[in-house]
Formats: sequence, C-alpha cells, structure tokens
Amino acid sequence: MANGIMKTIVGKLVILGDGGVGKTSLITRYTQKAFNLNISSTIGASFFTCKTNIDNAIVRLQIWDTAGQERFKAMTPMFYRNANAALLVFDITCLDSFGNMQTWAQQLKGNVVEPMVLCVIGNKIDLSENRVVSREEALQYANSIGAQYFECSAKEDQGIGQVFETISRDLIRLSSDSSVKSLKVYEGDVESALMARSTDLEATDVGRIEEPGISIDSIAHAKTVPSKCCY
Amino acid sequence: MNSFKQPTLRINQADLMCKNGCGYFSNADWDGYCSKCHRSALEKERQKKLSSKPQKMSGFTKFEEKKRQQTDKKNKLIKTPVFRKTASGRDSFRSERQPEAIHNPEADRLTVEYLKTYVLPEQVNKDFFKKISYLYSMIVTEMDNNKPIEEVAELAQKYYINYSTRLNGHPLYADIDPNVRAEMLEFFEKFVMSSAYEYIFCPPTTNDEEKDLIIQNRIRKLSWVNAYHLDCCISETSMEVRELVYTAITDLIGLDSVKAPQEKLACVVRCCQSVVEILKSCQEGPVSADEFLPALIFVVLKANPARLKSNILYITRFCNDSRLMQGEPGYYFTNLCCAVSFIENLTAESLSMNSEQFTSYMSGDSNVISTWESALFACEGMHQLTQHLSLMKDLTERTATIKSRAEELREKMQSLKDEIKSKVATVIEKNPLELKPPNELQLKTPERTHPALREDEGEQASNFYTYNLQNLSVKIDQKSKFKLDLVADQKPVEGGSGNSLTLINYDIDVSDLSNESDLTPEKRDDRCLLDMKEESPEARLPPPLEPTAHYSGFAKQGYQIPSIPCNTGNKNSDTYKNTTNNGN
Repeated sequence: MANGIMKTIVGKLVILGDGGVGKTSLITRYTQKAFNLNISSTIGASFFTCKTNIDNAIVRLQIWDTAGQERFKAMTPMFYRNANAALLVFDITCLDSFGNMQTWAQQLKGNVVEPMVLCVIGNKIDLSENRVVSREEALQYANSIGAQYFECSAKEDQGIGQVFETISRDLIRLSSDSSVKSLKVYEGDVESALMARSTDLEATDVGRIEEPGISIDSIAHAKTVPSKCCY
Repeated sequence: MNSFKQPTLRINQADLMCKNGCGYFSNADWDGYCSKCHRSALEKERQKKLSSKPQKMSGFTKFEEKKRQQTDKKNKLIKTPVFRKTASGRDSFRSERQPEAIHNPEADRLTVEYLKTYVLPEQVNKDFFKKISYLYSMIVTEMDNNKPIEEVAELAQKYYINYSTRLNGHPLYADIDPNVRAEMLEFFEKFVMSSAYEYIFCPPTTNDEEKDLIIQNRIRKLSWVNAYHLDCCISETSMEVRELVYTAITDLIGLDSVKAPQEKLACVVRCCQSVVEILKSCQEGPVSADEFLPALIFVVLKANPARLKSNILYITRFCNDSRLMQGEPGYYFTNLCCAVSFIENLTAESLSMNSEQFTSYMSGDSNVISTWESALFACEGMHQLTQHLSLMKDLTERTATIKSRAEELREKMQSLKDEIKSKVATVIEKNPLELKPPNELQLKTPERTHPALREDEGEQASNFYTYNLQNLSVKIDQKSKFKLDLVADQKPVEGGSGNSLTLINYDIDVSDLSNESDLTPEKRDDRCLLDMKEESPEARLPPPLEPTAHYSGFAKQGYQIPSIPCNTGNKNSDTYKNTTNNGN
C-alpha cells in the first residue's frame, strides 16, 4: 500500500510493578521522546498511545499504566485482560520491588490465556552504586518466565527506546500467530478511526470580547445598550 | 361487577339479557352475551383469525383458548399501547414484530439525528434501519422470553460484529468513507441500545438492583473515608480542587442519565479527566496510575452515584467489546470497575488501619471529622462563602476592566471633542476672512439700522422687522441656554459710549452663526464665536439653522441695504465680497 506499509497492529501493553519503581516516568520519558522525534503520540494521564513504524508495519501501542500499591493488587487482573504485552518493572536498588515483581509475573501468568510479549525491566541504573539486584539474577529470572531483560534509566533516558522497539518487533511477530485473537491487525495504514476513540469534549463556553461602541451616533442619541456585565 | 353496579345504576331488565335474545342473562365480561352465545361468538372470531394465520393457530387446545380469552380481557381493560405490546409479545407472534418499525420517542429522536447527521443513499438508510429494527425486535423478544441477560448481551455483541463486517464488506456500503462507516457502527449501537434501554437496563431477570442497593449502602457506610485514608494527595481544603471534585462527581452521576453505552462511557471519561485535573493541580509532574486510582476511588465514594452497579454491568454487557477492551474509554472504565471492586472488598488493611478502628467507624461508633465532610455538609455556608468570594474576585476583575474601558472611552470622547474643537477652529479660521468686508459695510449701515433698534429699545417698535429680529434672537437665547446674554451684557460695559454699536452686535451675533455676517464688526464677531465654542459644541449646532428658516424676514430688509444679496451660503458671501470690493 502507500509508503509500502503492509499492516497496522494495535496492541495493548500493561505496565506492572510496585509503586515508586518508575513505571510512569518510563512511559512519559518514552512518549515524550517519541513526541520530540516526531512520532505521533498522545500524552494522557496514565493512558498513552504511541505509534511506531517498524519494518513496513505500524505498531500502535496502547499503554495502560497500573496502580502498583499492594492494596490494589487484587484489581490488577482487570487491567491486563486482553493485553498483548506486559512490562514488569522493578527498581534495581530495591530488593522488595524485585520480589514483588515476581508475584506480579506469577499473577499475570495465571490470568492470561493468550501468548503475550513479556519484558522484565530493571529501572534506575543511574543509581547503580546502590544496586541490590544483580544483572545476572534478574536475567536468570527473566529467562525462567520467558521474558526479555532490559536495564534502563528513565531519569537518564537510557535503553528505553530499545525496550519499546523490541516490544513492537515482538508484536509484529506475534501478529502472525493465529492463536492470538486480541491483537488487532489491519491491512494498510489505518487511521485512528478504527481504533476505539476517546470522546471529543465540546467547549462548555465561548469567550467573547465586548467592545464599547464609540461613534457620533451613540453620543447624540444616548442609545440604551442592554447591560451584559452582570449575571 | 354487576352487584357493584346495581345499587347506583338502575339497569333495565332487558339490558341484562343476552344480546342474541336467547333469553339467558348476559355478562359484561362476555360482551353482553350469555355464556353460550359468547363462546360461539368467540369461536367465529377464532375461525376468522385461523384462516389468516393457519400455521400458528392450528394447535390450539381448550386451555389455550382460555388463555386467549384472558388476554382479550386484558386488552379490553387496559387500552394503553404499552400493555398491548407486551400482551401481544406474550402471545408468541414473534414473526409479526419484525417488519414493525420501532415506536419509541427515543428511537424517533435518534432517527431524526441520524438523518440530520448523515446524508447517505436511500438504500443504505433502509438497510441501516432494517438491521436496527431486526436487532431491536430480537432483543425485545428475548427479554420477553426471560432469557438470561448474558445470552442477550452475547447476541448483541455478535450482531455488532455481524454488522461491522457487513459495513466493511457489503457492496451497498462500498462508497462510504471508512470514517463514516465507523461512525455508523457506533450509531447503530447507540440507536438499538437507547431504544431497547427499558428492556435491557437493570432487567428483572437479574439481581442488578439488589447489587445497586448493596453498593450504595456500602458507600454510605464508608462516608467517613477521606483522602488521607486512601493515601491520595487530594487537598480537600483547596477551593479549586473542591470545585474540580464537584465536576468529577457531577460527571459520574451523569452516568445514569444517558442511555447509550458509549454515552455512558463518555461520562466516565469526563469524570476521569476531571480526576486527572484534580491531581494535576495537587502535585507536580505527570499523573501516574498510582495516584489516579485512589483519587478515582475517593470521587466514587463521595459521589455515591445511583444505580452504579447496574450501569457498569450494562456497559460491560452491551457496549461494543472492541471499544471496551481498548482505548482511553476502556482504560478509564477499567479503572472505574477497579474502584468499585476496591470499595466492595474494602477492608481495614486496605485503608492501612487496624480492624477495631475500622469496625468502629463502620458501625458509626466513632466519627471522623474530615475536612471534606465539613466542607460538604457542616460548612455548606463556608463553601458558599468561598464560592461568593471567587465570584466577587471575578466581579472585581470585571469592574476593573470596565473602569479601564470607561477611561478609554473618556479619552476617545476627549479626542473626539478635541477633534471637533479643532475642526470648529479651522472653520472659524476660514470664516474671519469672509467676515472682514462687513466691517466696512458697518460704516454705512449703522445710520439705518441704529435708529430702528434704538426705537426698539425704547419699545416703540416702529420698524417691525428689527423688532422681529430682536424677538427672534431673544427666543434663541432662551431656547439654547446660550451665554449670549452675558456677551451682550459685557459689551455695553466694554463698549462704553458705543451704545448703539453693542446693540447691533447683540442682534447680529445670532444671525452671524447663520453665516450672515453682514452687519457684524470683525472683532466682536470673533470673540463671540470663540465664547460659544468653549461651551459644548453640540449645543451650538442648532442655532445656525434656525435663523435661516426665518431668513425671509431678513431679506425683506434688502431694500434698505442695497448692496447685500438675499441668498445664503458661502457663494453668496463671495458675491457679496465682490460687490463690496466693487463699491470700494
């Protein structure tokens, strides 16, 4: 088709991890960078969409941020229903977050039926002097759950682009798997019309500037003008 | 029925008899027949119907006939269309309903909306409405048959996919823009769901209503939970934040007032966007889900929206799955579900407090005095006060604007005044040149006019024209508040001995404005005009016209002043100048 684009893939990516490991910073860093690199993206609150072109395909990622607090753990399965990819984020300076990440992964495995792209991410490598989770340990764990392992820093913007690129590539690979039904694949370059759209909000009020009319007429005849300044 | 009627209404014996005249007593329930005749009449009627629909009615047993009688009775008693519809629905004439268009105010409204929004070929519209009424009648029939709501929802979902493939594959729709097609699919859903809303929202086959009441009670019991318990950073005391919380609450409550699933979703999205705004105003940096969810829970707790559970279940069942699973609405809806499920399963642990404290709060033994509560209930006055304060602030700003604008207006007026002044000045600058000649004339004329005027002063009025003229001038003085009197008064003082001169000035000053400066001396004239100019210039405007109206009277004097032409205007003064020059 036009520009040699063969297909568009719309996938859902959930981000899991303890509170404070930098999930949101990771996405904001990526989406903002993507924005600067002239790749279209919308920056919402904790919901993001971004579009990347890879190998004649467009990958539209819908990134769902989740609340990482322990108390909301029971609700998280709602979020990763129909997800195609998951980022499991932990803080390399915090052993607890690594342990919790493993429980997230277990929960995820237990609730998702379709194959999905998994990535384990060790965040905050800019604080490597305080490191408590070794690279080998994390890598080993990632392999054990069939995930890829990345280390990055949202603060220094290291390795984040690579994470999302890998996910996009994996999603393209996944899209040819017939057992994956939740991943939407469209022929050609599909505009956002086919994606679920967010609602347009109309402006509630329209501002207006009132100019005092000055002319000989209004002086001589003292026209009464209905007052508009009070409610 | 009869025994009830008899005491009040005396019914003739004949009226009580069977209409067929068979001699038996009749009954109102049997259409005025006796039991036997009624049965035979029914039989006839049934035969008639059978001939038109033999396949449906062939297996009628006596039991069914009885049932039928009862529905007939029902129809007779309750003539409202709604009841008739359901009654006929129970009659299992399923096929009858399909070709029927949906009769429903909601459907009518949407039809109008559809026709207004989309200009599509007739064929497409026809197909669109056909599919709509098909799905509608299917849903209604299934609901009438007390099918579980899940099955109906599945049917609707299947049909969405069905229609979506039809939209994208059928040659009928081939010419339509993909965007419009997507909109049509959305509208399809909206149309059917809004029309069938009464049937599928909170249906009697489910216990949705119970769930609503349970969650409502739960939220009511949890009214003591505040932002601190939820560990979210909403500053309850901030006026601005409170305003935003109100907006979010209003949006959430609005969930129950719209009908189509996507409209309900839009309410959720609006509410969540308000929550994001709240968080943005309370903290720095991007809003993460870690903060968003607690804030949303807080809003849900404070809003306690009506039929929350029913609405959520309705959206889950009947909103097009592809929309619900992804996109921003999907995300926010999932968050709302999360919030509700959190509230349902809320324990002391999830609020990070010990269980005794929790139970005592729940049972209402101890009360938490939260700032939110006080803001909401106890200190409604405070809220109003802050509201009024902001209103006042707004008004002050407006007043300031008005003031500055007024100043601007004044300046503009001033400049206008200056402009007029300068224009008047230029006009005056031009005029003196034309005024010069009368000076010489004056030397000639005084002899003639002067005696007459003196006579006037002496109230002898021998020359009636000059008398008139003076009267006229006096009138004008009175009319237009001139300070001419003053001028006239001063003149004699200044003039001293030149009594006659001042008198002439006095008269001519007025006519002077009419550009008839014939008889005025140059100096006097100048000063008078300047004086006038200093007063409001507009007030001066009328006089020039008035004397001209009476000019004819002046012209009569022409014979006395041979060299003055009778015409008015500049041209005239030019000619006049010429004549005087000639005279020189």
